[in-house]
Amino acid sequence: MTEDYIYLDYAASTPVDPRVFDRMRACSEATCANPSSTHAAGRLSQDIIASAAIQVAELLNVDPETLVWTSGATESDNLAIAGGARYRAHRGKHIVTMKTEHKAVTDVFDALAKEGFEITWADAGANGLLDPAAFEAALRDDTQFVSIMFVNNETGVIQDIEALGTICRQRDILFHVDAAQAVGKLPIDLGKLPIDLMSLTAHKFYGPKGVGALYIADRPGCHVEPILFGGGQQRRLRPGTLPTELIAGLGLTAEIAAGRIDDDLEHLKALREALWAGIRDIEGISLNGDPNGFPGILNVSIDDVEGESLLLALEPLLVATGSACNSKSQEPSYVLRALGLTDMQAQSAIRFSVGRPTTVDEVEFAAGHYRAAVDKLRGLAPENAA
Amino acid sequence: MSTDPYSATVRELFATTPHAGDLAGAESVSITDQEVRIRLSAGVEDGVITAMRFRAWGCPHLIAGAETACAALEGCVAAGLVDWAASDLMENLPVPVEKTGRILVLEDAVRSLGRRLCDGT
Repeated sequence: MTEDYIYLDYAASTPVDPRVFDRMRACSEATCANPSSTHAAGRLSQDIIASAAIQVAELLNVDPETLVWTSGATESDNLAIAGGARYRAHRGKHIVTMKTEHKAVTDVFDALAKEGFEITWADAGANGLLDPAAFEAALRDDTQFVSIMFVNNETGVIQDIEALGTICRQRDILFHVDAAQAVGKLPIDLGKLPIDLMSLTAHKFYGPKGVGALYIADRPGCHVEPILFGGGQQRRLRPGTLPTELIAGLGLTAEIAAGRIDDDLEHLKALREALWAGIRDIEGISLNGDPNGFPGILNVSIDDVEGESLLLALEPLLVATGSACNSKSQEPSYVLRALGLTDMQAQSAIRFSVGRPTTVDEVEFAAGHYRAAVDKLRGLAPENAA
Repeated sequence: MSTDPYSATVRELFATTPHAGDLAGAESVSITDQEVRIRLSAGVEDGVITAMRFRAWGCPHLIAGAETACAALEGCVAAGLVDWAASDLMENLPVPVEKTGRILVLEDAVRSLGRRLCDGT
């Protein structure tokens, strides 16, 4: 990261905590052995992984045995959705998700449709929230699988996971939650929340890229079929040599997060409030999504300003126009379109996402710079633009 | 190979737009198409363009292109605008192929302004 920029894209990825980096290097120096090997060095790798599992499990209040290591949230989502829906297919092939889910979810649902699964795409309200009553009405006797994200990656909207999960549990429907934006950032107690499957990834909360996990609840009927084949690792659910250093990094990332979630949330709330206070009076600005969403994300649209030019005019702020995974696309965000925004409103949307290292000075600068960029572009535009 | 979607030229032209604005009382044209909006105005003396200004609502390439066109066309004979082509501009900025349509709106605006300056159409 160059010092010339102000990074406000923490929902896309976060810097690795230096302690995590040190831990990974130490692990790498301690053993190069394959954790599947039975010799002493291999057993050391196994011990490192077992310790990491305990650290992640303590963050979520689960048994370490319920965790399956993956390469990140996209793989976890694929394993949960494709594996879970196929596991339950003999009971029914109706599956449900939302239009505002991440592509790592929606694309898997699209793939399952080609296998004969029938999909219901639940609508979000204008605030991005899924109404539990409307959700329940969408369920059928043959509904066997539901996937709803915890925190939306574009808007920060937090779904009522407890209410939605309770509905699924009452009907014995497998309930998957993509928690990539929530784990390590919001308190999550899987001992209380009715979640069957939950995806997480390290790099969204100050851990390394390339490692994540899928939680699979230890209860009857809750299981997934593997989607990868090639070895007996992880009870054959996810074969492949485990990356010891990355998993150790994820473990420490989880331990660090567990000790500071409340402080982090207070910090993020203060930043978000300062940022919004600095821009909320600009004519034509609107906040996208539930205002009570995750405080690390602020998504705004602005009338009469072209989005691509706004993004360039905002440099040296590093922000997002939509999901970073989709940022090369010229298409307006499908998530914001699903909330009822026009193409023009969605195209002008900017996602500011703040993190642990962000300062109040930075967000105050960002607010002033956003205001100046809007003024500049509106000054360039002919009358009656857009 | 750079992953930056904007060349140094586009960045510089987008950041500093001395030809942005209007010319009071001058001939002008406005076009809206291809999800962009552009307005050009030109002052002419003895058939020569003495000043040219633009207003634009669109992507950075359009704004950089409009700035380039206005700067380049000052001092040219007004009749030359009628068959002005954006091909050199697209090559020099450069403009990615997916933005071609937007730059052609600029080309249309320049040609339309040329016709208006020459014969009032």
